[in-house]
Amino acid sequence: MALRAARAELSPELINKIRPVTLAQERILAVPEPLLPLFPWGGLQRGTTFGVSGNGSWSLAMALMAESLGSQGWLAVVGAPTFGLAAASDFGIRLDRVLVVEEPGRSRWGAVVSSLLESVDMVAIAPDATVGARDARRLVAKAREQESVLLHLDGGRSWPTGLDTTLAVIDEGWQGLGEGHGYLQARRARVEAVGRRAGGMNRSVSVWLPGPDGRLAAAGAQVSELRPRLVG
Amino acid sequence: MVVVWCPDWPVVAWGIPLDEPAAVVVANRVIATSPAAREEGVEVGQRRRDAQGRCPDVAILERDIDREARLFEPVAAALEAITPQVEVTGAGLVGFPTKGPSRFFGGDKTLADEVLGVVQPVLAGRGVARIGVADGVFAARLAARSTHAIHGPVIIHPGESATFLAGFGIEALDMPSLGDVLVRLGLRTLGSFAELSGADVSGRFGQEGLVAHRLARGEDQHPPDLRRPAGDLAVTWQFEPAAERIDQCAFAAKALADELHAALWSQGLACIRIAIEAETEAGERQLRLWRHEGALSAAALAERARWQLDGWLNAGAGGRPTSGVVRLTLIPDEVVPASGRQLGFWGGRAERADDVTRVVARIQAMLGPEAVSVPERRGGRGPGEQIELIPAAAVDLGEPRPATEASWVTEPWPGQIPRPAPSQVFDDPQPIELTDVNGGDLMVTGRGDLSSPPALVRFGRGRRMAVTGWAGPWPADERWWDPLTHRRRARMQLMCDDGSAHLVSIEHQTWWHEASYF
Repeated sequence: MALRAARAELSPELINKIRPVTLAQERILAVPEPLLPLFPWGGLQRGTTFGVSGNGSWSLAMALMAESLGSQGWLAVVGAPTFGLAAASDFGIRLDRVLVVEEPGRSRWGAVVSSLLESVDMVAIAPDATVGARDARRLVAKAREQESVLLHLDGGRSWPTGLDTTLAVIDEGWQGLGEGHGYLQARRARVEAVGRRAGGMNRSVSVWLPGPDGRLAAAGAQVSELRPRLVG
Repeated sequence: MVVVWCPDWPVVAWGIPLDEPAAVVVANRVIATSPAAREEGVEVGQRRRDAQGRCPDVAILERDIDREARLFEPVAAALEAITPQVEVTGAGLVGFPTKGPSRFFGGDKTLADEVLGVVQPVLAGRGVARIGVADGVFAARLAARSTHAIHGPVIIHPGESATFLAGFGIEALDMPSLGDVLVRLGLRTLGSFAELSGADVSGRFGQEGLVAHRLARGEDQHPPDLRRPAGDLAVTWQFEPAAERIDQCAFAAKALADELHAALWSQGLACIRIAIEAETEAGERQLRLWRHEGALSAAALAERARWQLDGWLNAGAGGRPTSGVVRLTLIPDEVVPASGRQLGFWGGRAERADDVTRVVARIQAMLGPEAVSVPERRGGRGPGEQIELIPAAAVDLGEPRPATEASWVTEPWPGQIPRPAPSQVFDDPQPIELTDVNGGDLMVTGRGDLSSPPALVRFGRGRRMAVTGWAGPWPADERWWDPLTHRRRARMQLMCDDGSAHLVSIEHQTWWHEASYF
């Protein structure tokens, strides 16, 4: 009650200043718990560009998207015909919420991605050629306006500018496979966040990607602070 | 209402006589059977292989909805000799109001016989027609589907629908989730459910329960006072020049359906019956009414327009129009306030799916109808065989899609690669160089052993990498029963010195890069 009374006394200008904070909160998408230390805002921000890189990055993208999309979010995969949908489903992505545009064609690529950003929550892309600066600007603006997420499966290699955040998989190694026996069971990896919105410090976490149960899981020490490094 | 039901239509449409065992499947699940197959124990819902196990000589056919609709069109057209009010619910199910025709023919019984007399010549022995007459659509439909209808039309006299329905089980509502709850509460028949008070049902089960309650009581799904025509919302497409091909018409139908649906949505309305009218250059016209109790989505509207035009343009010599289509009109013939079924209950699911469906249509307009696809599960050993992409236009994105659920494929496939599944799968595998430590080719012996341990691998133009671990080879003898498509290959997992892991296979003495654990 006291709080409400206090709020009533605030000037409208001040209330307006406060409001974006709550709205920003609503724009945060969930991420798998072991990755939380890499997200200074407590999750993935809607309306941003996001990339993954390194061996294991597609698995990482799948685990991340599964959590962010939940049971209702829609995902579109554009121009990435090798995207393994069986693996995506094993990581928890709902197949009845997935659209696939295998061959968007170069001339229509921008228009296709732009249309998708209007209606689906995440668009995963892997352009086969460098994206023009104008297309890139337009898509960034579209994602921000529609509060959808543009996810770069190639770590932003084809993108003319830096991404808001990139998660890089480093120091990865598979377990379970021997010399002629066993099979690939689990992969241990370190994931590091870099980019404009990564919070200045480069942080990393150790995870199973996937663990023996097929999902992303925490492995060992949680966060190790690395030296600040220049990016972009 | 009179309802004409042609049982087993998906089988009939394939031209299979009903005394031969046949089953129609979607994604390896049986969705319809011929009576002969049922006698052998083939049931709807079975997997293809189980059906073949029960009845080895059963003919297995893939479902072809367009064909079903096209072949049903003559049945609907024949009924127009009796009344212009013919409304099609789907292939195999059609009806019309009895009011006028019944008076004209001198009673429901003679009307029903007349209907049979009109429909049977069209079916020409390829299938049978069952007829039910009752006050409402739901009761008439159940009458036509009841066992009594095998021996002749079943007529439920005015005011007796509720009594007739009371004996049916709850599953007759075809609302599985609600039905489960009701059965658990001990309400096993429509009669016992109908006895509850409407207020109680509404309070406990919301809009969906209320609709079910109305049906169980023999009333119409939508109260008559809520229904109204909305002819002023009709949308028209002019073709210039005239459209000769079905795909041109289908494209226009999709655009019209989107437009109409958006207009209805903005007014909070849902369409439960639509009139689709086509007119040709020579002035020939065809009008058909389509009914859908659950409110027609934009995709469903477009689909019906396509079915109708397909049936008309491909009709036999007598029924086919002589010139191209110049005008296509969609008239929302009966609309109701958009109910809780579309919003709320599934958290805006239908609205959201419509958004996605719209963007799919836009991309199809840009890139072609096959450009957007959606995944469905299939059984299979190889990583590329477990998921198949089908055109998004072929499914209703707003409806549950069981073929996307993990439970769709339950049995383990012998020889399947252990999990985790590779995150990168190549539809078009490329040959790789895989050699032993001396640079010699690596082979798999007839007994399934490697000729020597793998040591070096090179993918495409990449650098030669050392193999740090491997498993397999696992033989995969595929389709061994069919000499034409029989494939013999073996798969192996490889780990390389850069930390990457891959799935490779050997076939015809060549190693292929099938997938990566990226």
